[in-house]
Amino acid sequence: MSTATNHPRWTRQLAGLVRKDLRLELRTKETVVAMVLFAVITLTIMQFGFGTRDDDLTRFTGGLMWVTLAFTAVLGVGRSYVAEREQRVLDGLLVSPIPRVVLLAAKAIAIVIYMAIVEVVVIPLVGIFFVKGPYWDSIGWIALVALLANVCIALSGTLFSGLALFTRARDLILPVLFLPALVPVVIAAAGATHAVAAGANDMADYRGYCLFLVAYAILFLLVCVATYDAVFDD
Amino acid sequence: MPSSTTEKTRSGRVPGARAALIWGVIAAVLVTVSTIGVFLVAPEDADQGVIQRIFYFHVAIALVSLVAFAVACVAGIFLLRTRSARWDDVGDVAIRLGLLFSVLVVITGSIWAKASWGTWWVWSDPRLVTYLIVVLIYAAYFVLRSSVDDDRRMRYAAIYAIAGFASVPLSFYSVRVANSFVHPVVFTGSGAAMPGSMLIWFVVSLAAMLALFIALLEVELIGRRAERALRRVALALENT
Amino acid sequence: MTGGSQYVVAAYAVIWFLVLAYIVMLGARSARVSRQVEAISRLLERKGIAPDDGDDG
Repeated sequence: MSTATNHPRWTRQLAGLVRKDLRLELRTKETVVAMVLFAVITLTIMQFGFGTRDDDLTRFTGGLMWVTLAFTAVLGVGRSYVAEREQRVLDGLLVSPIPRVVLLAAKAIAIVIYMAIVEVVVIPLVGIFFVKGPYWDSIGWIALVALLANVCIALSGTLFSGLALFTRARDLILPVLFLPALVPVVIAAAGATHAVAAGANDMADYRGYCLFLVAYAILFLLVCVATYDAVFDD
Repeated sequence: MPSSTTEKTRSGRVPGARAALIWGVIAAVLVTVSTIGVFLVAPEDADQGVIQRIFYFHVAIALVSLVAFAVACVAGIFLLRTRSARWDDVGDVAIRLGLLFSVLVVITGSIWAKASWGTWWVWSDPRLVTYLIVVLIYAAYFVLRSSVDDDRRMRYAAIYAIAGFASVPLSFYSVRVANSFVHPVVFTGSGAAMPGSMLIWFVVSLAAMLALFIALLEVELIGRRAERALRRVALALENT
Repeated sequence: MTGGSQYVVAAYAVIWFLVLAYIVMLGARSARVSRQVEAISRLLERKGIAPDDGDDG
């Protein structure tokens, strides 16, 4: 039905908004570079925080990876509205006839992309740093978990960073709001990673955790769609 | 329950005052009856002995705190629809009480863990861990409230109450999935396996805690009503 | 006390302690309201005695 030039209006709006965020990021590179550096530093700290230099942390693979990624996500999600806030772009966007749900989806897609870039660095690095045993065979499964978890992080992250945007001390508020909601994602993603990494091929566990991530994403998608209009209602 | 802001009190009686009185009396009676029942009438558990008596109020409080969060979630939905400040009061007070109750769940659960296994905290007990997460989720509600004002505060609080209530079942389920293969679940749903003589006193305890929750909710709502009226008076005086 | 009954007592005591602390908090809130009401009623009384004073208020 729809040709390349005749997409429904909202897909064009969505693509435009995502392109705007990515182009801004490409120009400055401040968010993604900081996120990657933060993640690498956190991984380095982990080894010394958890044991001596000789300790084998293989059995913590999932936990190390997802604790690092969760904190990195807080950092990135907190930055995701900064352009809008600092340059008064948000006022313009809110006055424009773009549906709020499209704004939400655009932000969520941008967060998924940022997290994916960070994971391209973090997932191999975890394998190099911590895993003694087979790891690279199951990297496809880990990438799938990462993709699902990114969607979860992006949905709840967009909602909570929207709430934190106009609060006093918003840099402090966001982690306090966002991290408790991320606990189930960390549990499931770490559990799924644990189920396939380092030779433990427990596919039943893996499938259970992935289904849980899907359920999380669906539930938060419903909450976001139902409440997002009210976040920017002034 | 909330109604329009300009509601007149015809007989000079505050709406909700009668409800607070009635629920207060019911709560007082039920708490007394359940205390007597739990400690003097209910049979001693064969496995756990006297420690099992913590179960009656521990689980009752846990269930009531979930009811409180559900009330706050519904109040949030109504607030977003009607934008009536009354629903903000209901949500705020319900989460305050729910947080009080879930803190109590964590503390009594910790005492139970000490009595049963000799340590104050076990990460393999999904109930304790879940309620710790729930406490963290809803403690953040007050952090959020205190850092925004007026209309925005009502909307944000309502949205967070809804999103928080969505994360409660997710936390419940994720903690249980995690434990299913690391540790066997220590407490299974003890409700179904309970003999009738215990189940009766559990139901009475549950009703007692529910009545206590409703009574405290009504009392606090009357207080909120007074504060709101006072603010209107102060505003009117400033304008004269 | 034997068989862990001290733990049962402790759990029960904690519950009533925190619920009562909550009620004390409620009392503090209502004390603030009554203080403000008293201030307002004093203000009104003063206005009633000297109605022309109200210009700066």
